[in-house]
Amino acid sequence: MIPARRIKFLSDWFALYMRYRMRKAFNRLVVPPFTPKKGHSVLLLCNHFSWWDAFCCNYLAYWHLHRKSYAMMQEDHLQKRMLLNFFGGFSISRSSREMITSLQYAANLLNNPENMVVVFPQGRLISNHTTEIVVEKGLERLIKNIKGPCQIVYTCLLIDYFESLKPSVFYHLLDCGIAGELPFDELTEKINTFHQQALKDQLNVEH
Amino acid sequence: MIYPKKNGLLRRVLKTYVHFILKRYFYRIDFNTIEIEPKKSILLVANHFSIWDGLVLYWAMQRLSAKNFYVMLLEETAKKEPMLKYGGAFSINKTSKDALQSLNYAAQLLAAPQNLVLIFPQGKLYSNFIDEVQFEKGILKIMEQAKGKFQLIYAATFIESFQHKKPIATIYLSRETNCTFENIEALTDSYQQHYNTSRQQQTKLVL
Repeated sequence: MIPARRIKFLSDWFALYMRYRMRKAFNRLVVPPFTPKKGHSVLLLCNHFSWWDAFCCNYLAYWHLHRKSYAMMQEDHLQKRMLLNFFGGFSISRSSREMITSLQYAANLLNNPENMVVVFPQGRLISNHTTEIVVEKGLERLIKNIKGPCQIVYTCLLIDYFESLKPSVFYHLLDCGIAGELPFDELTEKINTFHQQALKDQLNVEH
Repeated sequence: MIYPKKNGLLRRVLKTYVHFILKRYFYRIDFNTIEIEPKKSILLVANHFSIWDGLVLYWAMQRLSAKNFYVMLLEETAKKEPMLKYGGAFSINKTSKDALQSLNYAAQLLAAPQNLVLIFPQGKLYSNFIDEVQFEKGILKIMEQAKGKFQLIYAATFIESFQHKKPIATIYLSRETNCTFENIEALTDSYQQHYNTSRQQQTKLVL
């Protein structure tokens, strides 16, 4: 497992640079008003559908949730982009025993209320049009291991174009409560119901 | 009503520009090949969610057949982008009596086998995440007038970026053998079936 070597100065610079890149690549980034609970770390779950979504989550962490962002990445992906290691990227290898170490590492990060960890519960890249979010079981272990106060937030990112040549990112945020409050099955169900509702709400967004 | 204008030079300039921006903005444009009857014109019915879908279909259809490309646009769009009339765009104003003239013109175009007319029967921009398409009635008039002279092709387009920075446009094409519909609901249902299967295929894309 590769732990994060987050350097504050570099991460701040990266967040600024990525904000510039995202504003250039996207027409609009529409984030609904959302304030995380005070004194709680944030476990951010996100649908994984593109190259951009981790950066969208980093943007959310910096400019809206005001937390230090860490992201769980596949080991081979991180090895190819080791620079991300300085911005909070740490690895997980799905096939090896080290997976448990990675989950424990993520849980430890979440004990600090200043931190936020981004996890893609689907574990792989799936189309943005999918109606079902399959949550991998490792997340259950991760949540169980969190000892400090932690809020779980699910964000459904949807990309739409409408009148612009550039795409727009629409964030749909769901507060899933405090870690350990909901049983895992109920959490999965809640995420899926919300995701389907977000797809319906997307039809009526302002453009 | 704005009619398409013939100008070889401007048409070529427009074609080069469209190719240039498609190459610049898209990683790839995918489409499936279908059999096209050379002795009949083409009525291409597509979903409308961005400005790109017309351009992407123009690119794809050029590779599938050598027919002359025409597209029905809203009058406001045709006025905003006056160059498009050299690429085969003609306008429709849904609120005025001119609308009938535009529909007749489209039917006239379909009478000649060397033509292809692209129509977005949804009539305005919707989200790419729409479940049920809704068509406006006008298209039936065109089909009645040009009965037997055209072949009907359905197109469903989706744009997603997956593992790349730039998006991939995927076009699902299918040829509908039945070209007579009693009412607009029957046509909508028929297109909806194609749209649903295309969407299912799109959501199956897992990386």
